Amino acid sequence: MNPGSIFAYRGTSSGRTDLILGIGAFFAFIAVWTAISEFGLVPQRFLPLPWTVVEALWRMLVERNFIEDIGISVTRVWGAFLLSVVMAVPIGVWMSSYRAVSAVLEPVVDFIRYLPVPALVPLLIIWFGIGEASKVAVLFMGTFFQLVLLIADDAKRVPREFIEIGHTLGAKPRQITRDIVLRSMMPSMIDNLRITLGWCWTWIIVAEIVAANSGIGHVIWSMRRFVKTPEVMAGILTVGIIGLATDQLVRLIHRRYFKYL
Amino acid sequence: MDQNTPFLRISGVSKTFESEGAGHAPIHVIDDVSMDLASGELAVYLGPSGCGKTTLMRIVGGLETADRGEIFLSGKKVTGPDRQKGMVFQTYTSFPWLTVIDNIRFGTKYRRDIGGAEKDEVAHRYLDLVGLREFAGFYVNKISGGMRQRVAIARTLAAGPDILLMDEPFGALDAQTREFLQYQLLEINRIENKAVIFVTHDVEEAVFLADRIFMFSARPATVVEEIVVADHVPGERNLATKESEAFFHLRNHVRNVMRGEVGRIEETMAQSGAGGAGGAGGAGGAGE
Repeated sequence: MNPGSIFAYRGTSSGRTDLILGIGAFFAFIAVWTAISEFGLVPQRFLPLPWTVVEALWRMLVERNFIEDIGISVTRVWGAFLLSVVMAVPIGVWMSSYRAVSAVLEPVVDFIRYLPVPALVPLLIIWFGIGEASKVAVLFMGTFFQLVLLIADDAKRVPREFIEIGHTLGAKPRQITRDIVLRSMMPSMIDNLRITLGWCWTWIIVAEIVAANSGIGHVIWSMRRFVKTPEVMAGILTVGIIGLATDQLVRLIHRRYFKYL
Repeated sequence: MDQNTPFLRISGVSKTFESEGAGHAPIHVIDDVSMDLASGELAVYLGPSGCGKTTLMRIVGGLETADRGEIFLSGKKVTGPDRQKGMVFQTYTSFPWLTVIDNIRFGTKYRRDIGGAEKDEVAHRYLDLVGLREFAGFYVNKISGGMRQRVAIARTLAAGPDILLMDEPFGALDAQTREFLQYQLLEINRIENKAVIFVTHDVEEAVFLADRIFMFSARPATVVEEIVVADHVPGERNLATKESEAFFHLRNHVRNVMRGEVGRIEETMAQSGAGGAGGAGGAGGAGE
């Protein structure tokens, strides 16, 4: 088969074809949804029309000040995420640099990593109350311990020769870390940060549903009480849009700063 | 340094690697090797794959420690890696996130003996020396493997080392590129006049490049024969040298010695049943 064909196994394709396919798939999805809802295959009470969901989102934004809840959730996510990153990057790199550090930390990190975050929520609420601190704590528990191992892995994957070159060029360990290890692992680290940020959105909704009086998760949960399906779906849609936008932003950064890839 | 101190002295070096897997015997890679090198001398370590020649070179570079024996560079004991002992590896180690010129400039980054302007001047001098001026602004994954190795050599030279340690630097290249770079290395060495230890298992490469060839036995490595090439192949080395009868004779002699050693290593591997243990170059798996 022609390698330029979009059906060729691992074939090449142009950005324009990809874009057309992506937009096409999006509209096909909307069309199927509309058909199912319109013809009553699923009652509209459970599956409202796409347009109704968009309308609900608009109403929420204009009448209910939903934008404020969005802002609160975004702030919580980024606050906890940045805290997680600021701690995970140095500790992860440190673990990869010294056997002793990883020998001490890895068992603990591995253990906590396997604790299901939803199970920790009650405990974290007892400890931190239902204020902002408990939200941050939930997100932190859900991301930090995974991230620290991912970062350590990224750092370990820096070729040993790169580090030895650093030594023979007269660099000190600190300089090797800064100028070679961090720089070399940067692209894969950014990818891992992007994935981790996605998890944050999962945990923030969990946290806000369990105990909060603001935020997207709180709105979704309170709309459910009145079986306002369009509003519930609008809330979910919002999370999806924010996720997509963030992802595109990170991709843009990737293309801009890692031209050599 | 007084008259009697050799530029580089390797004195009674032995090395054993502990095997990673349980039940495997430790691997004795180097057995009591001693030699002196003069400054400006290009020494080639020739030996079968996995014989420990790379490990010996890494010990000289301070990247491995000897179990017994010592290394002295200009009379000073080697205790670890530093800027005086530059390395060039077989794998491409030029940094993909930097352009050609920035890679070479990286070699000067940790120098304290020269200032910023001079560093830039040094980087450009070595860029020219390896003939990559037109490619200065290219990222290294956009240039060929041969060029990447030239970048690596230039970067190492830019750090101003006293000795250059090269671990099969042309091993991954095609025959033509390899020949070209061998010639270029001789040219560079004529200008720079640095001591070089060049590790290879390629007989022709060894004879063409070396002032002195050290032929190593199968593991554990000992020097089985030492050849001063100028005694056999007189005159200046150039591309025609490879066609000369003297070169031909020496190459055949070296090849015959090496054949015996390769035969021996195959036998010992078959006996111990440890086909892959220790891995290529001796330092590969066990070198952590």
